[in-house]
Amino acid sequence: MNNQNSVAEDLELLCAVALNAMIPLANERTLQSAYYILRGRKANQTLQDVHLYSLYPYYRMFPGFSKEDWDKIVATLFQNGHVQQREGEGAIAKPTFLVTEKGKQAAQEAYEKYRFAVWFSPFTQFDLAARIEPFWQRLHLLVQTVSQMLGKDLSFTPVVTDKSVQLWVKQQLQFPEARAVWMSGLREELYHLWEPLEPDVQKLLVAQLSGISQVGKTLGQLAKQQQVARVYLTLLFRYGLAASIQRLMKEAQTFPLLSRLVSQENRLDPRLSNSAARTYAMVQRGLTKAEIATRRNMKESTVEDHLVEIALRCPEWDESVYLPPEMRSVIVAASEKLQTSRLRLIKDYVGPGVSYLQIRLALARRQGETNG
Amino acid sequence: MDKDLHFYLQEYFGYETFRPGQAAIISRVLNGQSVLGLMATGGGKSVTYQLPALLLPGITVVVSPLISLMVDQVQQLRTKRRIQAAYLNSTQDPAESREVLQKIAAGACKLLYISPEKLQQSYVQHALKRARVSLVAIDEAHCISAWGHDFRTDYLRLPDTVKLLGNPPVLAVTATATTAVRNEICTLFGIAQENVVVQTLNRANIAYDLAEVNGESERRQLTFELVDRLEGPGIVYCSTRQAVDVLVAAYQLEGKRRVEGYHGGMNSMERMLIQTQFLAGELDVIIATNAFGMGIDKPDIRYVIHYQMPASLEAYSQEIGRIGRDGQPGYAMLLYGPEDVQIHQYMLDKEYPTPLQVQQFLQHHRAGVSMDAQALALLGMSEEMTAMLTFYTERALARAQASTPKEGDNFARDIWQETEKRKAVKRKKLSEMVSYVLADSCLRKHLNQYFGEADDSYHRFCCTRCGLQRGAYEGERTVLLQQDVQNSWSLRQALDMLLPKK
Repeated sequence: MNNQNSVAEDLELLCAVALNAMIPLANERTLQSAYYILRGRKANQTLQDVHLYSLYPYYRMFPGFSKEDWDKIVATLFQNGHVQQREGEGAIAKPTFLVTEKGKQAAQEAYEKYRFAVWFSPFTQFDLAARIEPFWQRLHLLVQTVSQMLGKDLSFTPVVTDKSVQLWVKQQLQFPEARAVWMSGLREELYHLWEPLEPDVQKLLVAQLSGISQVGKTLGQLAKQQQVARVYLTLLFRYGLAASIQRLMKEAQTFPLLSRLVSQENRLDPRLSNSAARTYAMVQRGLTKAEIATRRNMKESTVEDHLVEIALRCPEWDESVYLPPEMRSVIVAASEKLQTSRLRLIKDYVGPGVSYLQIRLALARRQGETNG
Repeated sequence: MDKDLHFYLQEYFGYETFRPGQAAIISRVLNGQSVLGLMATGGGKSVTYQLPALLLPGITVVVSPLISLMVDQVQQLRTKRRIQAAYLNSTQDPAESREVLQKIAAGACKLLYISPEKLQQSYVQHALKRARVSLVAIDEAHCISAWGHDFRTDYLRLPDTVKLLGNPPVLAVTATATTAVRNEICTLFGIAQENVVVQTLNRANIAYDLAEVNGESERRQLTFELVDRLEGPGIVYCSTRQAVDVLVAAYQLEGKRRVEGYHGGMNSMERMLIQTQFLAGELDVIIATNAFGMGIDKPDIRYVIHYQMPASLEAYSQEIGRIGRDGQPGYAMLLYGPEDVQIHQYMLDKEYPTPLQVQQFLQHHRAGVSMDAQALALLGMSEEMTAMLTFYTERALARAQASTPKEGDNFARDIWQETEKRKAVKRKKLSEMVSYVLADSCLRKHLNQYFGEADDSYHRFCCTRCGLQRGAYEGERTVLLQQDVQNSWSLRQALDMLLPKK
């Protein structure tokens, strides 16, 4: 076992991942923007970048990344001559960067050597990254609980401490009939779900689970045991979970039990507060704000607050029902002319035809676009 | 009555006999007396309120500052002991709280674990009052004393709360309390001297060792030698998370035992996995910060090494208290160097406010501005510091209403002086810790004297001052580090293991 080697390989692999994420961003974005994507920042600019440059596999790949981790990667990339600093163009442009030929070559080599194409393949849409963690937590606790039930020993400490996950599992296993179904069906469904995956990925998933006969290993422990870089296992692990989620969504009828783990109901948009996310789900179903207020038994002004939050964080939302595009330009122009974001001043300037909600929406849109 | 008690002990807890002190505490509580129980860590504190809870007509409220401990105990009560228990703390959402309160109202709950701040809420108090509280048990009771090492301001409101609940008897329990702290607890809860039940705090099966180290490399070398040789399972305590990470990485390169790290910076699933592996005997040693150990029920821990000197004798005795709860011999090693004191002094200075910080805090407080993380960072204040300042400010304001209000500057100075008093207490604790490592006297006597314990008996060895052979605690048991031995992988087999057929 040689930890020092795998630490070095960890950094090498991290740099290769970062470099591959940077290539499409070069000349247009700051280096920092790659950091935000890998960390999974929820700001609008980051989400837009992910869409615009199709960087879905990279989004939220390393949620635990610190600034120090990142600085180390950047320093290494500069040192290796893979990346160079570049001044931005125009008066207000931010400094950007370019990836050298050598860098592109290194990125390509790592891409092939570590088979990124395989591990990235299930990441075809944006929201997968946000679903991986909750899916894993539910699966982990469910398997642990069902395993303990099969072993007839219910005095165990749940490995997942998250309250909402515990509650979800409890609900699944509330009634004797449901328990019986899970106890007899979970093993087969897991087998069919994971059987098409490569053995290395299968091992990685099973070894991390806990139950009556085993205590799960951490990713770090497995990396040591197999003498591979931890980052490499992270790629495989994310692949295994994302592929599982995709399959469960597509073939729900084949997996009557496990498909509940990815069920769409109660699925809240992770970019929003829970309450605003519920409102957004209703907005998407075509309800008006008055209808939403009635159904949710809340004031219309609360729903308006939610709409502003949605305008700020969800670039794909079409706000024109509430704010016609020409009105939006008028408000933004007024705000810039007056050099203010104060609603009262803007309303006085634009005139009685504009509502406070419209001004707030317009300002939120503008802010959402400029958030770095 | 006595026969009953034994019946319940066996039926619900599975023990044949009471441990020292338990019967004395329980019979007093059942007679309606308020009691202070001093029991060594692992001495069976929880039985002293869990058993009366079964026999008393109303509900027993257990105040506990540790949420994880609360959750653990309630889970155990429900699954292993079939006792109706619940908990209330700030981590629950309103729906969960409501569910618990409904259970209480329906009388479907014999034991309620609650955090001190949750017990302050008036709707909780109302619900409890209606359900009739038969006993208030206060765990970690030393937290109420400003002379204690672990003073918590929210404990100070407890005596008033007990009155609001209809003045039921109180059972205060703790494992670490000096004579001054004991007296304060008794005064605050009106506990009579004859109702102070002291179980011996002397840990006869633990041998106390001590070593001065010069520099990091010596510290590390000595620790690694011990970990390689000593019979496990064991715990190595470090002062900081970084120290844990560095030590684990280095040991895993060179060492012979199965070692993992544990600290608050790891994600919660990783922490749970490591902890469970340790409990299951899959690891020999945990290298950890003081975040590890609370509420962990592992009776066969054979040694604890302190990589750095702790900040107080209370913290020290709590951490080594985890050794040998099964009664078998155990070994405690404390490493110290001059830099340890400096680190603690530095942390103390950061923990308590400067006069300027108090003034800035008061400005915010007066303006009614709530302090978010950013504002705190700007003033260089931690959340703990803000909580402390909020408490002293509110208390000072309440007092000021009674008399004429003071000028702003005096007000700030008074509050600062309050915090300085706390800081002085901590400094004193630190100097007592230092005198423990520097004195030539018997370590056991020194420690016992500090806690007012007269019994200095021991089993195998006493301490390094009285003479001790480290070799007696070494063990041959070396376990091969796990390699990936599975050469043929079968998903089918692995899943059959994980989810066995009925």
